[in-house]
Amino acid sequence: MTRVVVMDLSRYNTVMVGHDRYFVLDTDGRRLLVRDHCPHRGGPLSLARRTPDGRRLSCPWHGTKVGVAAVRRTSLPMVRSGDEAVVLLPSDTGPAPVSVIHKEILANLPPEEPCAADGLVPPAALERDMNGEAVACL
Amino acid sequence: MTVQPQASPVDNEVGGTLGKRLTTFARSPLFHGDAQVLHDSNPYRRMLVPDSVAESDFTLPPRADQWSTHRSLVAHRLLGTFYEADTVLLPEQGLADLHDDFDLFYGPGLRRIRETSVSELERFAFDCLDDAVDVSGAGTTEILDAYFQHVVTAAANGPSPALTAIAEARDREAAADLYLVQLALDGLTEASAMSRNLAGAYGPEQSALFKIFIDEFGYGVYDAKHTTIFAKMLRSRRMATHVHAYWNFYLGGPLATNNYYYYLSRDHAKFFRYAGAVTYAEAVFAPAFVQMVKVFRNIFGDSVDLHYCDEHAHIDEHHGRITREQVLLALADRHGSRVVPELLRGIAEARLIGGWFEDDTAAQIRWADDLARHRELAGAASIAVAPPLRTVLREGHPFGTRNHDGAMVLEIERGEADLVTTPTGPPERLERGDRVLIPAGRLYGVRSVAPESVCLLHPVLTGG
Repeated sequence: MTRVVVMDLSRYNTVMVGHDRYFVLDTDGRRLLVRDHCPHRGGPLSLARRTPDGRRLSCPWHGTKVGVAAVRRTSLPMVRSGDEAVVLLPSDTGPAPVSVIHKEILANLPPEEPCAADGLVPPAALERDMNGEAVACL
Repeated sequence: MTVQPQASPVDNEVGGTLGKRLTTFARSPLFHGDAQVLHDSNPYRRMLVPDSVAESDFTLPPRADQWSTHRSLVAHRLLGTFYEADTVLLPEQGLADLHDDFDLFYGPGLRRIRETSVSELERFAFDCLDDAVDVSGAGTTEILDAYFQHVVTAAANGPSPALTAIAEARDREAAADLYLVQLALDGLTEASAMSRNLAGAYGPEQSALFKIFIDEFGYGVYDAKHTTIFAKMLRSRRMATHVHAYWNFYLGGPLATNNYYYYLSRDHAKFFRYAGAVTYAEAVFAPAFVQMVKVFRNIFGDSVDLHYCDEHAHIDEHHGRITREQVLLALADRHGSRVVPELLRGIAEARLIGGWFEDDTAAQIRWADDLARHRELAGAASIAVAPPLRTVLREGHPFGTRNHDGAMVLEIERGEADLVTTPTGPPERLERGDRVLIPAGRLYGVRSVAPESVCLLHPVLTGG
């Protein structure tokens, strides 16, 4: 059965569902409730900074670049109207206890400045991010 | 000799800016108003206050929290007029004396402006919803129903700000009439927006919507049509029943609410949003009308005809069920998860705009009911040093209403005038030197009762 959680976004930005944490990500003028979990080793993406192009989050644990598009796909169903967010927890989230909190979120800050080597990285130095896209500045 | 065809003002303006086109539209003789506070039985004439259209900045769309601004009111008056020009309006007494107005209202000149402006005006009026509402995450029928049940339960359990304001008013009768007038906007042309979504072929959901439509239209029996029984309710209050006698008193929030359903149903790309919105509306109507009956019975006893409310309190139980089961959830099941976000958005937007209706009506009731205190507040307000806006009013001058983005102190510099804030309550007589505070967003009109009066409008400094 779907559970409903109402969150005042002027006060809270994070939802705990059992041990899973979701944070409010601002992207393209939209606010989404996305999983705070890097697919590499589970790092907190809420503390990630955006890459200079704004399209990826750089995980604070291992610097893994995770595409914002991929992060968006982890979002929980949510309907926001003004500062009120109605979060709809699908039945597969089970009966885990739910709480809403406020925590620091770096992922919504403006992108980091480009690194000095930006545009000068030889192809051999490029690595692959979680979407398989080539990234530098690791 | 060759005679060059003369370009009409309309021809000159259809390619101009939105503001210029709208000003040309509002300057049609149909929209100048007359000296009367209420409009005659002529559905084509409605006061658009052309000067206030001309002063509106149509390059600056209002945000969702700016629904009570002047430009929002102006936009929704225009948009409502545009939409109604796509419906058939005929006066009850016949067209005999109004054929010229009929020709002008539906004629090519105004139609061209409407057609070249309506989409842009809709974006101006409703784009704020895109910022105000987000729908995200994977939608399923179960998620959709959970959200729907949540918001409908919240609405049923929450108080109606407008009905609460009526119950608490000093002049409860005038407050109740003001509320009726807001309902009249839709009540006298009921289900017109819905009719636009009846055509086409979309299966059992189309038939479900049609069932509601035929209820609204009284199964083809004019005396049972909802507009007819709405008029009976107005008549029992000794109020006018024609479209749109009370045009000058429609508030921005209720205008936006009414326009919203036209907006969604004009563009079938928004069909699923419409389905969400209408399902929400039908579900919250029944408990709202139950509350309304209680408040109105308490005020008027048996002297008011509430058949309209009783009918809605009953039939909207069915409509709420039909729209939820046979439209909303059925559409989600049939068309899949991709349509769910739009269905959710429609519910959320209808809920948001319904709040504008309630808040605007409540605020107007509270202000109009307490003008004595607003005279005192005017005395204490900090007003701008800059010269005030000066308006000369003459007896018989066309009457119109407006609001302001910020609070204003209205002062009578010369003469004597009536401040009109409600459709049926007594106007507030203002003599030379009298001042009254007009809060931001509140609707008012001023009529000179001397051969000539001069009004001053002093902007109130923020925090003043």
